Amino acid sequence: MNTIKEYLTTDHRKCDAIFAKMEEEAGSSLENSRILVEEFISDMQHHFAMEEQVMFPEFEQKTGMTQGPTEMMRQEHTQMRSLFTQLMDSLNENNSDRFFGTSETLMILLQQHNMKEEQMLYPMAQQHLSAESDRIVSMMDSLAVE
Amino acid sequence: MQLNGLSVDQAPPIAVPLRFFLTAPLFGIIAGVLILLNDSHTLMNRYSIDAIIITHAITIGMFTFVMFGALTQMLPVLAGAKIGEVKRVTLFSYLLLSSGLISMILGLKFSLSFLTSYAYVGIGLGFLTMVLGIVYAIRNVKNFTATIKGMAASLLFAFFTACLGSFLLYEYASNSISQYHLLVANIHSVWAIFGFCGLLIIGISFQVLPMFYVAPKFKQFCKKRVVILISIGLSIWFCLNLYYEEYELVAKIWIALFFWAFATAVWLKFNRRKRPISDVTVWYWRSASLFLTLGSFLWIFDEFFKHEYIVMVGILIGGGFVLSIILGMLYKILPFLIWFHLNATGYMNIPTINEMIDNGLAKVQFTLFILSLIGFIFAFYIPQLLAVSALYFIISMALLEYNLLVPVLLYRATKKRKPDFDMSAFSVDGVA
Repeated sequence: MNTIKEYLTTDHRKCDAIFAKMEEEAGSSLENSRILVEEFISDMQHHFAMEEQVMFPEFEQKTGMTQGPTEMMRQEHTQMRSLFTQLMDSLNENNSDRFFGTSETLMILLQQHNMKEEQMLYPMAQQHLSAESDRIVSMMDSLAVE
Repeated sequence: MQLNGLSVDQAPPIAVPLRFFLTAPLFGIIAGVLILLNDSHTLMNRYSIDAIIITHAITIGMFTFVMFGALTQMLPVLAGAKIGEVKRVTLFSYLLLSSGLISMILGLKFSLSFLTSYAYVGIGLGFLTMVLGIVYAIRNVKNFTATIKGMAASLLFAFFTACLGSFLLYEYASNSISQYHLLVANIHSVWAIFGFCGLLIIGISFQVLPMFYVAPKFKQFCKKRVVILISIGLSIWFCLNLYYEEYELVAKIWIALFFWAFATAVWLKFNRRKRPISDVTVWYWRSASLFLTLGSFLWIFDEFFKHEYIVMVGILIGGGFVLSIILGMLYKILPFLIWFHLNATGYMNIPTINEMIDNGLAKVQFTLFILSLIGFIFAFYIPQLLAVSALYFIISMALLEYNLLVPVLLYRATKKRKPDFDMSAFSVDGVA
């Protein structure tokens, strides 16, 4: 089974690929990209849920750090959720400039967020939670099924 | 354990990188004016005082300022490290570097040795402050990624480059040019461009290309070996240059091949990127890889022409490669920083990063910049082109300053109003 780090990192790349497809489709037709936009947002919300509902609480319980890195990651999730709303608004208004402006902002915010997680938080989580790694990945995976 | 990079309040105050970013185009304008006041014959000699002044207005005033500004911001994200006392350290370094550079320009131009004396101390200490600040910050990083390795190697070359540069300036100030002067100057310039700038760009691109453009990742061989192989190449070149000059071409080919391979890899990765977006930053990356390819080959051929084309190599690699990447990165980083700092402090109703800089103006700036570079190259054969190219360069740098100032002014105006959302629940001390 994948480690926590591998599992969540792979999910990042999956979201990146859908994001790129979404932008490509939006480039030819904004309206036709709706399904991919919804898929991207849904996948991202799911990723956030895996972290916020499973991995972060486990990490916090193990390390006792409730106001540390996980709290800051939650704040960046909030920033991104606000951009998801703006992305949908621009799609509904059929405003291409606004859509690509928001997607660019989201992309950079998302990538610097991923960098922090992949290079710092996930290795830390793997280190502290290595004994429970399989169970946590399994829980995140079952959240995926739901 | 590195936790700094995970918190929002690890970000240095926005004034820290902005100070460096907004100053860089001003030195670009100064360089442009100095080119305008010169003739191509003088500038064809890399060791002429005017060529040295212009080169350093760009290499210190632009390359170093933007790279140091970007590093203060990138360290927490890429390495989870932050420079201690970041406000004081960066302000101290900024003041030393800017005052040192102005003193160097005036001191060399008007043969004022007291200014040149101040310059070698100021610039040397300015570099030392930042380099030591960053090295100290990354000393405990556990996850030493390829990017951080590139950064560390680059800083090592920056340190030696600054020491050698200070020695050269000391010789000008004391009016005692030693027999080693040209040898040291040559090492100083090659290590500055390929070691300090080149390795940093390569290291950063390992992260930036896959992430921001969803381009294919660099191969493990590249990420694990290229930085060390180039560093070895630069060290071998140094030894050959000192003791077996007749064989230095071997090391030059070694170094040039890696940079050419990097340029090709960048071009191919952009071809295969998944994001279809083609903005001015992509144009800059594309132009950088073209200029780097031309520059790498010319650097080798120049060996067979008694270094007749070395200034052209400098324009291709320094201007075409390093400056292109730096300007492209500025267009990405600065608007994002403004957006990030505003958003993190509760300002939600703000323009997106694409709306902060007029894309049309950025493309005009890019076009003028590229035209100026092409003009500088052909000015070797058609001297009349130099003045018009210098004008293009000056306008391009002024436009760059304008393009960067617009988001900064928007930031200042936005901060004057009440936030849309109360973020007091979060710790954002360092962000405001």
